[in-house]
Amino acid sequence: MELIKIQVTVNGSKEILEVPPNLSLLNMLRENLTLTGTKSGCEAGECGACTVLLEGEPVNSCMVLAVECSGLSVETIEGLSQEEPMKKLQKAFMDLNAIQCGFCTPGMLISAFALLRRNPDPSDEEIKIALLGNLCRCTGYERIISAVKKAARR
Amino acid sequence: MKVNPNIPDLIGANVQRVDVQEKVTGAAVFTDDVQFGRNLLFARIKRSPHPHAIIKSIDTSKAEKLPGVKAVATGADFPNRNGLYLKDKHIFARDRVRFVGEPVAGIAAVSEEIAESALDLIEVEYEILPAVFHPIDAIKPDAPLIHPDLGKYEVANFIFPKPGTNISNHFKIRKGNPDKIWAACTAVVNRKYYIPHIQHVPIETHVAVAKVDRTGKVTLWSSSQSPFAQRDLIAKVLGMSPSNVRVIANYVGGGFGCKAGVTMEALPVALALKVIGHPVKLRLTREEEFYTNFVRQALAIELKIGCDKNGNILALENTMYWDGGASTEYGVNITRAGGYSCTGPYDIPHVKADSYCVYTNNTIGGPYRGFGMSELHTGIEQCVDELAEAIGMDKVEFRMLNAVQDGDILATGMIMHPTGIKECIEKAAHAVEWGKPSEPCPPNKRRGKGIALMWKAPAMPPNPGSSATIKLNEDGTILLGVGGQEIGQGAFTVAAQIAAASLGVPVESIRVVGPVDTDYSPYEWQTVASRLTWSMGNAVKAAALDTRRQIFEIVSKAWSEDIKDLTIINGLVISKASEREIPLKDFAVYGIPNKDFEGWVGGPIYGRGSFMPNYVTGLDKDTGQGERAVVHYTTGAQAFEIEIDLDSGKIEIIHAVSAFDVGRAINPDLVRAQMEGGIVQGISSALFEQMIFKDGQMQNPNFVDYRIATTVDLPKRIDSIIVEVPQDDGPWGARGVGEHPMVPTIAAIANAIYDAVGIRMEGPPFTAEKIFTHLKMKGS
Amino acid sequence: MNQPHPRLPEFKYYQPKSSKEAVDFLTKHADQSRPYAGGTDCFNQIRDKRIHPKYLVDLKSIEGFRKIKFDPKKGLTIGAAVPLNKIISHPKVLEYYPVLIEAAREVGGYQLRNRAALVGNLCNASPCGDTIGPCLTYRSKVHIVGPDGRHEVDLKDFFEGPGKTCLQSDEIVESISFPIPQLGTRGTYQSIGRNKLGDLAIAAVTVLGYEKIDSSSGYEFLLTLTAVAPTVIFVESAQDILKTEPINHSTLEQAALACAEACKPIDDIRSSAHYRRDMIQMLALRGLEKTCGLLNLPL
Repeated sequence: MELIKIQVTVNGSKEILEVPPNLSLLNMLRENLTLTGTKSGCEAGECGACTVLLEGEPVNSCMVLAVECSGLSVETIEGLSQEEPMKKLQKAFMDLNAIQCGFCTPGMLISAFALLRRNPDPSDEEIKIALLGNLCRCTGYERIISAVKKAARR
Repeated sequence: MKVNPNIPDLIGANVQRVDVQEKVTGAAVFTDDVQFGRNLLFARIKRSPHPHAIIKSIDTSKAEKLPGVKAVATGADFPNRNGLYLKDKHIFARDRVRFVGEPVAGIAAVSEEIAESALDLIEVEYEILPAVFHPIDAIKPDAPLIHPDLGKYEVANFIFPKPGTNISNHFKIRKGNPDKIWAACTAVVNRKYYIPHIQHVPIETHVAVAKVDRTGKVTLWSSSQSPFAQRDLIAKVLGMSPSNVRVIANYVGGGFGCKAGVTMEALPVALALKVIGHPVKLRLTREEEFYTNFVRQALAIELKIGCDKNGNILALENTMYWDGGASTEYGVNITRAGGYSCTGPYDIPHVKADSYCVYTNNTIGGPYRGFGMSELHTGIEQCVDELAEAIGMDKVEFRMLNAVQDGDILATGMIMHPTGIKECIEKAAHAVEWGKPSEPCPPNKRRGKGIALMWKAPAMPPNPGSSATIKLNEDGTILLGVGGQEIGQGAFTVAAQIAAASLGVPVESIRVVGPVDTDYSPYEWQTVASRLTWSMGNAVKAAALDTRRQIFEIVSKAWSEDIKDLTIINGLVISKASEREIPLKDFAVYGIPNKDFEGWVGGPIYGRGSFMPNYVTGLDKDTGQGERAVVHYTTGAQAFEIEIDLDSGKIEIIHAVSAFDVGRAINPDLVRAQMEGGIVQGISSALFEQMIFKDGQMQNPNFVDYRIATTVDLPKRIDSIIVEVPQDDGPWGARGVGEHPMVPTIAAIANAIYDAVGIRMEGPPFTAEKIFTHLKMKGS
Repeated sequence: MNQPHPRLPEFKYYQPKSSKEAVDFLTKHADQSRPYAGGTDCFNQIRDKRIHPKYLVDLKSIEGFRKIKFDPKKGLTIGAAVPLNKIISHPKVLEYYPVLIEAAREVGGYQLRNRAALVGNLCNASPCGDTIGPCLTYRSKVHIVGPDGRHEVDLKDFFEGPGKTCLQSDEIVESISFPIPQLGTRGTYQSIGRNKLGDLAIAAVTVLGYEKIDSSSGYEFLLTLTAVAPTVIFVESAQDILKTEPINHSTLEQAALACAEACKPIDDIRSSAHYRRDMIQMLALRGLEKTCGLLNLPL
């Protein structure tokens, strides 16, 4: 299979890679760059465990091709964890026990982070709609919504 | 005294979870995150397209020749049968296939794509056999026989299969004589319900990596609730000794029972045996997760229950046909648990129960949060509701009258221990303002309230052990070794609290050692049955007390003081008599020097403890009677207020309340987190979830058509109430509650629906369409 | 039993920079290529083995494909690769075509809407596609380019059946355009799924209403139905009732009944035909009542 040379900025760092066209952004992150914080849950764009920021917007990375990202910037939980707005969210999640198995957590945090960036004071309803595409099986969501609310207020 | 006297009491404290820092940064390692290097191979499995067929031939020759393919395996190489309670499962199908999706062959290749392409090159010839998809059909004498060799299977001595039939377990209760009592009942309710298959839907699908080294030792990395059981079962099925299998279990991205026992993990091991030195990874797709591994058994339940004019329940006849699927190695015990708990949490003098585990050509039924209790209570609690109505008694009052109490003789003859179920009922009812009419709502809506109780005992073999180790470090940190798994429930955190409280150290100094590794971690039967806080907690406490004893022996000798005068507070050993003190870290490894360094006392301190209940007895195979069927019961209640939109049939949950007797909440916030997560999962199973089958093939194995609760499906308000009536042998009285908050939910919602619009349905899910259709038929 | 691929299978990737490049490529590799924008429909179809293209043709880099243009006289033009979130947040769309936003919000989750392109949804031609109803009801046109040049097709003539449009394998849609609705147009998108939000539509109704002097009722209403026929359909019978009869509760009910009678729902794993029919009637009534409210029409 032919490989295509791409240049993607991941967490602020320029990565030059040679990838097959059918490699998803998710697998590029997890396999080529060993950034395993982003998870695979369905490979169909439904569960949100693979959510990352592409040009600042949350996307299901399982449904984006690596080759589509050449020249673009990607941010994952590993990169965003260094930044303050994310740290507030993470602290709220930890304080409120909005985490159980933790598998949905990176994707959930990214969706929540993007929400607070575009809407710094969201209502409960707005939080729910922003996180609709992130499935959680453990927590029942309530604490996650409260955590986002709490982080917004700080 | 340099010690802070206001040390928080760790038992009952909302200590922050010990794993959250890793999880919020994406640093937490799950099995698919482990890096294996360039000789990692990828596995894909060829699966049966038929629900029941004889395998006439398998030709893998073309697949073997595909460049990049390194190993091919079929059932021909693996003759042994596997299973926890009944050995009825092969790693790969051998003579026949029994469900759609059954593994028939496996490929290990240098990439997932090549492995997948190779599958298409494997040619399998089948001779289709008639199949059966419902337990009541499968139990008929003319039904196709799915396991003709059932009589030859190795089986635990408390499971009773019927060779020559599709019944892999028949559990009976015969207590008193219901047949003679019906006439004395003022009211009798007779009902059938069907609870369909659902799947656990962990967000992390099953994944396992196996490697066999040149000495023949197997190492298995798996997302597992049961590393030790996996070690044992995999070793057995391969004819190895357990010490030759090492299981390394990282964080689990959701289990709910589906990652208990051994399911797909044996497949990469089988392939790895053929490519010595290469790790082989198998990760299930979401679609495979839905129907090729474990699902919750469907249940067809027939109930007859009667009470006297004062509302005392006199008799129960309960017949349960569990759809075990193609293999019931685990499901047979669900049948048993359903059997011995068949009354629900009620004191009923006359009980006749028959609980059948039935083979069908459906997907394999296995442990699912609740272990049969959710399905059972869906039937029982609706019947109890009806019975109360039949004699004109308030449904809460009826339950208060009949709820099981300390000293009651249960259906198995076991004497019930103290339980807070009545307090749970009162508090749940109070929270939804039972008895007070709902707020007025628009004419096209109807509101209703419902309540349901539950009970559950950990369903285990009679001898499930826990153990723990404690190692003190020279910097004051303490390594706590456990064999239980952190699957999200907070087990590591509670273990740290128990260790810290028992030892007398700050909880921050405890490091729970992970990943659990069967070579290094102490033994734990399985992370199932809501048993860790109770059982592993006891082991951790014992290990801490053992460590404490060693510490005191050393210090008392070094100081020539009485052990009675010593204590440990905040990591400092203190003498109450002389007020001398010494930090643990100063001597935990290196000992205490004598005066002028003339010799030493002590050395490295390593504590150990274990716990295994030793009082569970067998149950008579014909009557189900025995002195002590189970270790204990956790009881609880859930109450709901719902609103139904008559125009569409949609249900809005206004208020959802849980109240559970946990004995003692070691970490109350984590207990509440379990209640919240459980009630939402319960709501999801009540309103949305169903595996839709056609000729044994699941039609909706994806998130588009298998709906689970999302953020917008939440109740308007959730209350989680903790009740504490201590368990005699739990750490500080604690009992488990992980599964329980999902158990009464379907029944409570069903009862609320009845209260709102007067309809009852054959079973969940109570979709908008079903409710609308029933309302239309009713003519409202 | 069709097991989906664990990950996307092999294909080649081509990224044309102009419509001409795209069309030339498609002409050369007709029937082996799949043009796409967001990928949310086609990646799943590839993974599910429903299609097996040798080439994926990424239209996102074509000049103008990611643009939304608004002209107060000509109307709105949305490029073929514009994702739903960009449409939802565009002030002119909110001002002139709010029902499109109502429907777009129902599609999946936020992440999906950052990738799913409106035009892509239309080309997918799912009978239950949420955005199709409003696009149809706002009388949009798709602008197609092929080897023989450009032409436009009214959206109502674009769909041929479930998953089928009149687009040939060597053509692509460059944009979709919406005329300026009549001043005072109001409407709503009413749908029902299995969960509260985010599900595919089991049944949906799009309603637009506006004053019309030469109609006996004084108003004209446009109604389309989603998920209850091989394609999204206008309900002429209901529209006629609402044109001729005075607008009151009884008329609305009649119109809603006409919608129920006009639809051709099927039983599938999501829902049954009879529930769909009942829901269409209910949603049509709700949609009409809401629209009349927005029009300040006393009932």
